[in-house]
Amino acid sequence: MRRFQSVALEAVVVAVLGLLFALLGNAVSPRGLRLTRDYFPGQSRPAPIRPSNPGAQQSADQAQAVAASLQKLGLQAARSNEVAQLFSDPRYQQGLVIFIDARSDHAFQAGHIPGAWQLDHYHPEKFLPTVMPLCLTAEQIIVYCTGGDCEDSEFAAITLRDAGIPAQKLFVYTGGIKEWTNQMPFEVGERGSGTIHQAGK
Amino acid sequence: MNAPAASINRITAAEVISMLARWFIGAMFVYMGLNKAVHPVEFLKIVRQYGVLDHPMLLNLVASALPWFEVFCGVLLMLGIAVRGAAVMLIVMLVPFTIMVLGRGMAIHEARGGPFCAIKFDCGCGAGEVFICRKIAENILLTALAVCLAFWRKDRLCLRHGLFAEKTDAAAANTGHFEKAAEDCRTPKPSESRALE
Repeated sequence: MRRFQSVALEAVVVAVLGLLFALLGNAVSPRGLRLTRDYFPGQSRPAPIRPSNPGAQQSADQAQAVAASLQKLGLQAARSNEVAQLFSDPRYQQGLVIFIDARSDHAFQAGHIPGAWQLDHYHPEKFLPTVMPLCLTAEQIIVYCTGGDCEDSEFAAITLRDAGIPAQKLFVYTGGIKEWTNQMPFEVGERGSGTIHQAGK
Repeated sequence: MNAPAASINRITAAEVISMLARWFIGAMFVYMGLNKAVHPVEFLKIVRQYGVLDHPMLLNLVASALPWFEVFCGVLLMLGIAVRGAAVMLIVMLVPFTIMVLGRGMAIHEARGGPFCAIKFDCGCGAGEVFICRKIAENILLTALAVCLAFWRKDRLCLRHGLFAEKTDAAAANTGHFEKAAEDCRTPKPSESRALE
């Protein structure tokens, strides 16, 4: 009995010291999380698991469900053909239509819509100062992430909305970069690197 | 006189297994923990996917603290400090986590179909996407080893096996010899008793 007590007491000591070490590690780490921040604004529950190869009917149902959930948040969904149209719109060259990539640095460098700006909403302090003035002057803002189960485009759009961008300007491209790279050219590396890859490559 | 010294120096199979188990689990947890600690956002997203925690602060606390906590326990095991306490904490983490991984695997299986063992997803273990059956087997093995470490009192190559004073096997064996010797000294031999009479 005494042995169990001693092991239990030791486990409690390890738990307390471990927790202190963990909190310190997170505080010291440059990539540490902020404990009080809501990293998933507007969505407390994760999206349901989607079938990997949905049929046409399932895809349509999913698209409708995503559009409805975006509408609840005051956002609009943009489909593939609409996004392609906006990409070739002359307003895109004037900065009145802008694309926002809501993914991490690594994913952005691997391939993004040519001329897109990055807004990784998990690190807003790094990107908002650049992106906000552009969004304020733009007429339409298309936010995207990977596509499929990715919800980062929604969160980035909400971040922009909460920062003062009118919701009617914000569109979430639900197909994401996966869909885009299958049909359209994409840029690799930094924004404006000029390294353009053709669709499907 | 040589018997106690021999028992101290001889390494038993159990001691070797305990030592290797400590290093193996310790190294695994340090590696997995660091992998998550350097990508906390990715881990945060995965923790949310399990749908167990709703409150943002709780989610953040788990996602930010768990990786470093794993590193801490892993280092303790590798160095041999508070081994049984650290092993108990690993069991406390491994058992619910394995149940959650199994639950998530079953949910994916229900949504997507196909053979159960072909299901592959990032469970937040720190090793990227893994096959569900392999992960479950790996976790069962780790839990079994952690249970062994929590019950055994093998302190070979440990800096401080127990934080609180408690006899380890080697110490107990040693004490046994000394106690026996002390008893021998106290109890007069039959010939000596006769002489005294």
